[in-house]
Amino acid sequence: MMAALVQVEDISKTFGGVRALDNVSFEVRAGEWIAIMGPSGSGKTTLINILGGLDRPTKGRAIVDGVNVATLGERELTRYRAEKIGFVFQSFYLVPYLSALENVMLAQYFHSVADETEAGEALARVGLGDRLDHLPSQLSGGEQQRVALARALINHPKLILADEPTGNLDEANEHIVLEILRELHRTGHTILLVTHSPEIGRMADRRIELAHGRLAHIVANVT
Amino acid sequence: MRNPKMFWRILWRLLYASRGRLALAVLAVASGAAVCAALLNLDLDATDKLTREFQVLGPNVVISAAQSGDTATTIDAGVLEQIEALRLPRVVAVGPSLYLSARARAGGNSSAVILAGTWFDQAARMDSWWKVDGTWVSGRENRSDCMIGEQAASRLGLIPGQSVKIEYGSREATLRVTGIVTAGSSEDNQIFIGLPLAQELAGLGPRASLIQITAEGSAPQVEEVIRRLSLALPGLDVRPLRQLAQAEGRLLERIRGLLFGTILLILVLTSLGVLAAMAGLALERRRDVGLMKALGGSVRRIMRFFLAEATAIAFAGGVLGFMVGIALAEWIGERVFSVAITPRLVVLPATLALMVIVSVAGALPLRLLGRVRPSEILRGE
Repeated sequence: MMAALVQVEDISKTFGGVRALDNVSFEVRAGEWIAIMGPSGSGKTTLINILGGLDRPTKGRAIVDGVNVATLGERELTRYRAEKIGFVFQSFYLVPYLSALENVMLAQYFHSVADETEAGEALARVGLGDRLDHLPSQLSGGEQQRVALARALINHPKLILADEPTGNLDEANEHIVLEILRELHRTGHTILLVTHSPEIGRMADRRIELAHGRLAHIVANVT
Repeated sequence: MRNPKMFWRILWRLLYASRGRLALAVLAVASGAAVCAALLNLDLDATDKLTREFQVLGPNVVISAAQSGDTATTIDAGVLEQIEALRLPRVVAVGPSLYLSARARAGGNSSAVILAGTWFDQAARMDSWWKVDGTWVSGRENRSDCMIGEQAASRLGLIPGQSVKIEYGSREATLRVTGIVTAGSSEDNQIFIGLPLAQELAGLGPRASLIQITAEGSAPQVEEVIRRLSLALPGLDVRPLRQLAQAEGRLLERIRGLLFGTILLILVLTSLGVLAAMAGLALERRRDVGLMKALGGSVRRIMRFFLAEATAIAFAGGVLGFMVGIALAEWIGERVFSVAITPRLVVLPATLALMVIVSVAGALPLRLLGRVRPSEILRGE
């Protein structure tokens, strides 16, 4: 059995008086695809943000690749995000005045060294080899999400965190993006994906279902 | 800096993307830079030229014997050594004069004239504005040459190179005229001879009617020279000449104060202009900064973009403003001070430095972006 890449131990997160996460615990093995599901407000995005070093838990430990994210200082968190995490957001979040190529290179720039050739190859792998110099506004939603995927993968992160990556896409583009995720899973990437879609949830190895900030079920999918 | 090529690439994109708002900031900086460059150039050039023009008007301090009754007495020329011993730093020329009422003859003409015994080397410095047809007399001990005021020369029918006979009581001397002086004042009726010759003609020994001094500098600096001379020469009368020029000197000091006050005010206003433009930009950039942080960008690296942006604004506005400012300085110089202004290149780095300080200060709201929490931005808060 593969070692646990992610260990979530009794994680709680409170915003003001609202408890977004309540004593959630689970583990994710390296190379696993986990679907995080649950109704709106169940704490899915909060969980992803904590694992991605964007938020700090109020209580508990979140260990990713041997590092307890909850105890990292601001500087270490910045390095952690650059080196270990690849983010994909529902709203793509590309820098609007940078080209597709430059958006990918920006992640390289913050990680180590921007390499134009490598960034171009990453975009070619997601089918955007002919869109390198296009600005986000000149790309379709699906194309923008593929740029975001190329950006998330460019620094070879340990963990890919995808927050409803197909939520803003039409069916054709959703299919393309899911195919890319499936390929990433096949090549051994660890993926935590937030989704509302039962269909996408069934593609994952396991489904973690949250309700009112608590862990409701962990369901292993039968392949 | 790591990845300088990528840094400049992103910076260029940032500048281009916000060109409208940044153009406003550049305009604010350029306006401030124009006024600052103009005023700095005026301060350097106009005050310098006006000070020089005041000096060109001749000596500005006179030392004479204290008046006793109705008769003006002469002073001992030994005072000159006392003045030299003071080593006053701002004194550029010291010229003793001995005036005698004499008769001059040339050809068949004869005229009563005032003889002015002087040190020609010092007179040439103090009265450099005189128009001389011919040449100045050379050497303090010269007993064979003289210069003559244009009205006296006209009465005697003299031109440079001719001789004039001077009679004072029973003593006389024949001198060659080296130059005709046009001063537009009483000097035009005088004959200038070497001081030693004048003293011999007068038979008074080493004495002078008065000593004139040219001191450079502002009004307070000239006043300081007068104060020190008065202290060192208690029996003599030390007075400023040309009260008007002194008043103008004081006015110059006040104008200078006004210039610096205005520059300070302009810098504050420019900073506020940049601040207004940057505050809007900071709001626009919140999302981008949140995203950059989520991607692993440190606050220091992200802020470096914005500092570079502020510096670029300062340079663009500074250079533009400098060019306008020089034209403005020339216009103000001509209209207000009646002085032709020479552009001073040293004003450019000074203006740029001031504009960088002002722009970076004005870009302070962008520092608030360092506090942006990526999770809040990505949640859409």
